[in-house]
Amino acid sequence: MTVPTVGIQAPNLPPKPRPSLFAIGGTLAAIAMTIVTARSVGFSFGGIVTNLGRKNSVIEGLLSPDWGQIWSRRSRAPFIETFQLAVLGTATGSLLSLPLALWSTRFGNPNPFTRGILRGFNNVIRSIPDLLWALLFVSAVGIGALPGLLALFFFSLAVTTKLTSDTLDGIDMGPIEAANATGANLSQMLRTAVVPQILPAYSSFVLYNFEINLRASAVLGLVGAGGIGNRIEFFRGRGEWEELWGLVFMFFLVVFVVERISVTLRRRLI
Amino acid sequence: MIRFEDASVTYPGGVLALRDLSIEVDAGEFVVIVGLSGAGKSTLIRAVNGLVPLTSGKLQVNGREVTELSRAGMRELRSEVGMIFQGFNLVERTTVLNNVLMGRLHRVPTWRTLLGMYPKADIDIAARALGQVEIIEKAYTRASDLSGGQRQRVGIARALAQEPSIVLADEPVASLDPPTSHVVMRYLQQISRDLGITTIVNLHFLDLATAYADRIIGLRDGMLVFDGPGSACDAQVFEDIYGRSLTADDTMHKQAAL
Ligand SMILES: Nc1ncnc2c1ncn2[C@@H]1O[C@H](COP(=O)(O)OP(=O)(O)OP(=O)(O)O)[C@@H](O)[C@H]1O
Ligand SMILES: [Mg+2]
Repeated sequence: MTVPTVGIQAPNLPPKPRPSLFAIGGTLAAIAMTIVTARSVGFSFGGIVTNLGRKNSVIEGLLSPDWGQIWSRRSRAPFIETFQLAVLGTATGSLLSLPLALWSTRFGNPNPFTRGILRGFNNVIRSIPDLLWALLFVSAVGIGALPGLLALFFFSLAVTTKLTSDTLDGIDMGPIEAANATGANLSQMLRTAVVPQILPAYSSFVLYNFEINLRASAVLGLVGAGGIGNRIEFFRGRGEWEELWGLVFMFFLVVFVVERISVTLRRRLI
Repeated sequence: MIRFEDASVTYPGGVLALRDLSIEVDAGEFVVIVGLSGAGKSTLIRAVNGLVPLTSGKLQVNGREVTELSRAGMRELRSEVGMIFQGFNLVERTTVLNNVLMGRLHRVPTWRTLLGMYPKADIDIAARALGQVEIIEKAYTRASDLSGGQRQRVGIARALAQEPSIVLADEPVASLDPPTSHVVMRYLQQISRDLGITTIVNLHFLDLATAYADRIIGLRDGMLVFDGPGSACDAQVFEDIYGRSLTADDTMHKQAAL
């Protein structure tokens, strides 16, 4: 009946644990939620198929993108602006994130009151998405590159502080004790005992943050916060889909190249 | 000079780690503290530089009342007391020299520390400390690339770079093999003699203690049960400290031979 196995009989496994009620309930809830939300947004496969079949200038533009956009002088300026926004937003935001993350730890800030305030601040800025930052600053300071920069600054601050804080949770406390035992002050202790431990990871987060910012800066323009998104929005408004897709492909290329470089660099850091 | 007067330490949770301890250690002495695990050896050592606060009693170190020190006063005291750790506590990701320069922090302005720009004079002191434990050629090696014995010599150099009057060593050889342990103990002894540094060392093995100590202090349950020269440390004293007679586990060499 069964194929005889070589050697001794396998030991009996203990009875398989039953899937927990929590897992079953969670799965059911996820399925139910998907169905309910799909119905309420009016999702239907039929609609997709019919729409795809119809003559659609957006899709047609995708098939014959205007490659000239890559060399176009008028697209270059917003492109450079996107890059500048991403670099400046990353540099300022992640620079401030290092002390912010350090001062939010128990060893980096012995005062429970200010530590609580900083942690609360971190949690609040982390819960605001990039586009919302942009909308916020566009309404506060008007359209242009400045709200874009402010948005990316806070967004970077939130992202890098979060990642750095997680790394700080896992560092070796021995050097901290050693630095304190030499009579070092708090800043000196953080600089000599903590920063060297997290520097590779932190640098990698900064690079990663730059990648996200580059992508995010494309979206920012849609709400008037400067960069390539402005130009995309411009073509969209005029229904110039060939130009729009040309621009998007070029952006995709740049993001791809930057990401490859960043991934290679980050791999060498850690 | 270090003077404990009726010093007690109770940890949060209620453990009485030191009970009414009164001892005096003179400048330049080489003292070894022995006792069972949990006897309070680490607590005693850490009280000296204020890493563990006394719950009651008095402690005077270099003329300062440790219990009354301000934050700045505590840093000042700690700068005069070098500390050596069982787990070395080096920053693995940076160079040996950077680790040793940590011993200079109390003399280096904060902005210089932040920029990593140490004055030449302090680098010289760090280099001299590395020379004293004969590991200067590793100055630019990453600490993570060193052997255990080498790491502990860097730990000693870091303490020496403070130009301390007191050195505390909490089980400095517990992570090392017997020959390396002797090398490290000899450096500690030699430094204490050459530079007149008061040295307090916690040790697990009694034979190592008697081989190097001018004076042995035995603790049991946070109380002083022996205080005298290594030569007076006989089987009876051993029973007082350990609550049982000597076994192979208690001496490094018999254990190593097993
Ligand atoms: N941070 C702490 N919180 C609470 N109790 C502690 C703390 N540190 C030490 N103790 C307790 O105080 C007592 C003395 O500890 P101590 O570390 O001084 O012993 P030790 O002689 O150094 O032991 P070992 O040889 O294991 O290092 C022990 O009972 C220990 O459990
Ligand atoms: Mg101990």
